[in-house]
Amino acid sequence: MIDPQPLSRRNWIKSISGGLGYAGLLGMLQDEALRAAPAPTLAGAAVPKFPNFPPKAKHNIVLFMVGGPSQLDMFDIKPSLLKYQGQRPSSVDLRTERTTGGLLPSPFEFKQHGQGGVYVSELLPNLATVIDDICVVKSMYTFNPTHTPARSLFHTGNIAATRPSMGAWISYGLGTENRNLPGFVVLSPGPGGGGLARSGFLPAKHQGTYFDDSFVEPDKMIRYLKNTELDKDTQRRQLDLVQALNRDHEQQFGQDEFLEGRIQSMETAYSMQFEATDVFDIRKESEAVRAEYGDTPFAHGCLLARRLVERGVRTVHVYYGPGQPWDDHSHISRNLKQRCPDMDQASAALVRDLKRRGLLDETLVVWGGEFGRTPVSESGDGRDHNPYGFTMWLAGGGVKGGMAYGETDEFGFKAVENPVSIHDLHATMLNQLGIDHTKLTFRYAGRDFRLTDVYGVVCKDILA
Amino acid sequence: MMTPMVQPFRLLGWSVLVLGFCGAAFAQSRDAELFEKEIRPVLVEKCYGCHSSKLRAPMGGLVLDTKAGLKSGGNGGAIVVPGDPAASRLLKALSYNDTDLRMPPTGKLPDEKIAAFAEWIRAGAVDPRTDAAAASSAPAPKRGMDIETGRKWWAFQPVAPVAAPHVRERRWPKQKIDYFILAKLEQNKLKPSPVADRRTLIERASLDLTGLRPTYEEVQAFVSDKSPDAYPKLIERLLASPHYGERRGRYWLDVARYGEDNPTSEATNPPYPFAWRYRNWVIQAVNQDVPYDRFVKLQLAADQMPNVQRDDLRALGYLGAGPTYHKDARLSRDVIETLYTDDWDERVDAVSRGIMGLTVGCARCHDHKFDPILTKDYYALAGVFASTVAAPRPIAQVDPATEAKFMDTAQRLFFLSYVANLMHNEPGSKPEEAAKKSVKYTEEMYKVRDSMSSLKETNPELWAYLDRLARAPRLTPSAPKPPAPAASGSAPAETAQAPSAQPKPAAFPSRPPRRPAVSNEPFMQSVFDAGVWVDGADPDLTVPQVKPGVPRDMHILPHANVAAPGALAPRAFLTVLSKGDKRFTHGSGRIDLANDIFSDAAPLAARVIVNRVWAWHFGQPLVNTPSDFGVQGERPSHPALLDDLAARFIASGWSLKWLHREIMLSAAYMQSSHPRADIGDTDPTNRLLWRMNPRRLDIEAYRDNLLKATSILDESMYGISVDLDAPENHRRTVYGRVSRGRLNTLLALYDFPDPTMSAPSRDLTTSPLQQLFVMNSPFIEDRAKELVKCAEADPDPSAKVRAMYRRLFQRDPDPKELDLALSYLDKAPPEQYAQALLATNEEIFWP
Repeated sequence: MIDPQPLSRRNWIKSISGGLGYAGLLGMLQDEALRAAPAPTLAGAAVPKFPNFPPKAKHNIVLFMVGGPSQLDMFDIKPSLLKYQGQRPSSVDLRTERTTGGLLPSPFEFKQHGQGGVYVSELLPNLATVIDDICVVKSMYTFNPTHTPARSLFHTGNIAATRPSMGAWISYGLGTENRNLPGFVVLSPGPGGGGLARSGFLPAKHQGTYFDDSFVEPDKMIRYLKNTELDKDTQRRQLDLVQALNRDHEQQFGQDEFLEGRIQSMETAYSMQFEATDVFDIRKESEAVRAEYGDTPFAHGCLLARRLVERGVRTVHVYYGPGQPWDDHSHISRNLKQRCPDMDQASAALVRDLKRRGLLDETLVVWGGEFGRTPVSESGDGRDHNPYGFTMWLAGGGVKGGMAYGETDEFGFKAVENPVSIHDLHATMLNQLGIDHTKLTFRYAGRDFRLTDVYGVVCKDILA
Repeated sequence: MMTPMVQPFRLLGWSVLVLGFCGAAFAQSRDAELFEKEIRPVLVEKCYGCHSSKLRAPMGGLVLDTKAGLKSGGNGGAIVVPGDPAASRLLKALSYNDTDLRMPPTGKLPDEKIAAFAEWIRAGAVDPRTDAAAASSAPAPKRGMDIETGRKWWAFQPVAPVAAPHVRERRWPKQKIDYFILAKLEQNKLKPSPVADRRTLIERASLDLTGLRPTYEEVQAFVSDKSPDAYPKLIERLLASPHYGERRGRYWLDVARYGEDNPTSEATNPPYPFAWRYRNWVIQAVNQDVPYDRFVKLQLAADQMPNVQRDDLRALGYLGAGPTYHKDARLSRDVIETLYTDDWDERVDAVSRGIMGLTVGCARCHDHKFDPILTKDYYALAGVFASTVAAPRPIAQVDPATEAKFMDTAQRLFFLSYVANLMHNEPGSKPEEAAKKSVKYTEEMYKVRDSMSSLKETNPELWAYLDRLARAPRLTPSAPKPPAPAASGSAPAETAQAPSAQPKPAAFPSRPPRRPAVSNEPFMQSVFDAGVWVDGADPDLTVPQVKPGVPRDMHILPHANVAAPGALAPRAFLTVLSKGDKRFTHGSGRIDLANDIFSDAAPLAARVIVNRVWAWHFGQPLVNTPSDFGVQGERPSHPALLDDLAARFIASGWSLKWLHREIMLSAAYMQSSHPRADIGDTDPTNRLLWRMNPRRLDIEAYRDNLLKATSILDESMYGISVDLDAPENHRRTVYGRVSRGRLNTLLALYDFPDPTMSAPSRDLTTSPLQQLFVMNSPFIEDRAKELVKCAEADPDPSAKVRAMYRRLFQRDPDPKELDLALSYLDKAPPEQYAQALLATNEEIFWP
């Protein structure tokens, strides 16, 4: 109802083929099958082609709540917190890095929602309406209690701030579907993204391309996207001259991969100016759709993420920033009441919108932060970092909906039932993209590296 | 299991005895079968890798390839309680329910396997192995080459000049190199390419040695100079150019992972404001052709070498500005210790891969799986860096005792100020304790600072630096009442007033601004010898203990786990490379390490740098893995050539300029780079060098030449780093600021290597985003306008076009190009035309 004519991928290609340069379109169609060059393995054999089994998902979107959102106020209902309010039960070692006080119950009301009866707190009324498409994993855990290393672990599988991002690994494994757009996009308001989108030792072309989603104008988001002096036709004539000179030059020099590649790349860049202007412009969405997502940087990011995966971008990371807003060491209730509404509205809109367009089946959405928060209070009304047990959720891409998976202990501190590590999450995400995480390797500094290092178990229980 | 079976026999006599015995034997064999069929294969496949009696240090002290080992368990005690699966830690680990104990680490076993283990334990955990047999029959876990075999590894062998091989085409070789190249080509029935045209030769050599294209006039002069020594003279002129150091120094900075800040740059790992002085030192040293062995030694240990000029101490920026991780003092001792070991690991990696071409970092968790490098070797090297602390060093000469005290005080004040502020600004839920600590550390900070107060008179700039480091906590509206600073009255006025200032939002006392990310204060990034330990006595605040002059030997940390240290690994050189006593005895051992690299390991170090220099000239190395000369690396394409060149390089006194001459005067280097139809499938990747490799320019040369073409390049040398994005920045790219946390987007766009780690080589990719820069950036638009201005004086369109061609391509346009130009200029302004020329392939091509 909101968008009476949802564009299928095929329709979309039709609709743009009139305005897109031949090379750009050709590149895009060819790139359906394009992937990274295989690297030698230990035995010297070629790496298996990816996907190495039929993928459930072609794309993935990560909604990253920077700072570590509180599972106890959103998804992980713990009546014991109220029962033992203010106490520090000895049955669980509740020590974290900072000094904390007694148990701090959530002031927010939880209710069961959807067919699956999954608990969601009143902070998230919109997500509650799409909960049957969501799998809430309540038993996540990670290995480091500090923001930077934990964030690095979430994004790269390692606390060292040098390894490739999961988006780069996925690009390396699967290549891109649309050569006119980057295969890995990071959307974050203000300065951000930074090193977490790096390609590390992987070839540089797999690095994430960062765009500032506090803008809605594409030419403000993408550097040098528009020529401020030349119109489209004038620039085409100029490019024709460049290419004529290039052709003559190549004829004189002889057939050369780089010279040919740059000629092609110029054409792609030329068409990208207009294509990206369109793709990155969320103002092209109907009023109704824009209203459904909301009008905050995170909402822009979610809506743009949908537009990008629709057009073949493999990975989109949307940061809820700037800074690390979910790091609620104090005043947590007040802060969550301010921050949750737009996060809730936009994430729910994304799930709903993807589903409406038939894209949810082929797009894996993952929501979460670098860790969760403690059941005990810090500074009276805050919560400290908690890497031992926290919640993330997944939707689409072959993951079961309407399901809560895993449990933390009585107080929501430590994952005790079906614990899922960050490596397990990565293994599962790769699995849904058709990649055996043990086979996605890159030879560097004398050994084969993996996103999951030597760890990671695919969490089959949550797969449809 | 036996005991209950045997007892009935005593009571009930023979029949039962027989029955009982048979039953026992039957049960035994059935359980043994269970072990052989279900249990042993899993142990072999999944466990022996880390838990084998054949390992020097089995993980967790647990050995599973012997009956005794399985029975007795590891450091944590027994892992199997026969008959009681629930009480057996083995099953707990296999079940993957405990996040701290999950085995095997490579992934949970299938449920039916776990069930089999449960069944086996329930049945009594029968282990039919006899240890002698078990030990010999079990396949040995994968492990690296042993030391004795390792000593015979090709890359470690001494180098000596090799006789030039016989070639048929004797007129081709110009240098000894050429005999080796030609011999291989002839073996493969290939001919070398003809010599490149003169314009290409001077372009190629100029870009190679200075990063700048020659001018049109220089090209003309060279083309028309028919004397036989025109080319050698050109090479000499280029080697003598000060731009040589800017070009070749930058290549080294890729290896040295040069950066001016840290990947995260948080409270404890802020930017390195003086790192640019290290960069300038590199440029200068390369220009002076400082022998390569000395060049490297200075970077590792200039402070411990005799006859070192003060200026050469800047070389220590190699270590002093190395990447460092943030260490939040509120984290536990183990976490902080781990972060330190990560820092030291970075140094081990940079030195071993960058200088020795060895992946010593692989031996951090276990003995190297391929190379003859032991975990013990790894920690013996890591100890050198655990005994080395970064601190600023004054540029000006001061007496050694004062300097040592200054450096130690600087790093102490930095930490004290950090914790004093931390406890004040983020008191957590023990505010009273935090406030007390803040006061305590503030007092200590002032005390430490004031112990240096004699500097006020003698070295005011040193005092000013320390005084600025001593930043007391400041008032914030939400924070509790600030602690009173030291009552001694020695606090500076602004902090002395702090307590009386009520927390009114508008009236914060001003503090000195944060240190700038780039500064020209008279200091350099440096290091001094001090062992670092981590004190975890206070559970809420972890404090490093830095002991000047006391080196720290590390313990082996199996699996890099700081909580389970193993045997001591005294600081020493790599066993496989050592000729005599490998122990390090001088201070941290940096000087011993540097000396050993260039004595015991000299052949390896020479091969590694010769291979790098070769790659920088030819765009392709002899050993395809320039930072890995180990078993996993590739073998050289021309082993005899590499050895000969390395031997003669050492004999030249490790002179890089000698090496450039040797290479650039060769017929191999002077070949044309045009593709050839006759090559076919014989050598499509040009491993045999049947032509020169054509390349794309790297970002430094590309940007510099765009600026040079319009005469706007600022060729002044050295100086402080400048933001590359600043529109008025027309300096050479090598002087642009290099940030590890936020790499400049132009650098990133053109494959500048990640400065957080030593780069073996650079990618040269081609992407649409690069072309957007070319088509739409103000940088290129500005160059186009300048280019038009440069041709302003020329009378007519043809002359203008010719002037632009000469500036950009050092040649005149051919008739067709002139035709295209004139018909284009009929309809479009000259700036559009100029930009088109700037955008061509020829402008970024290096033939």
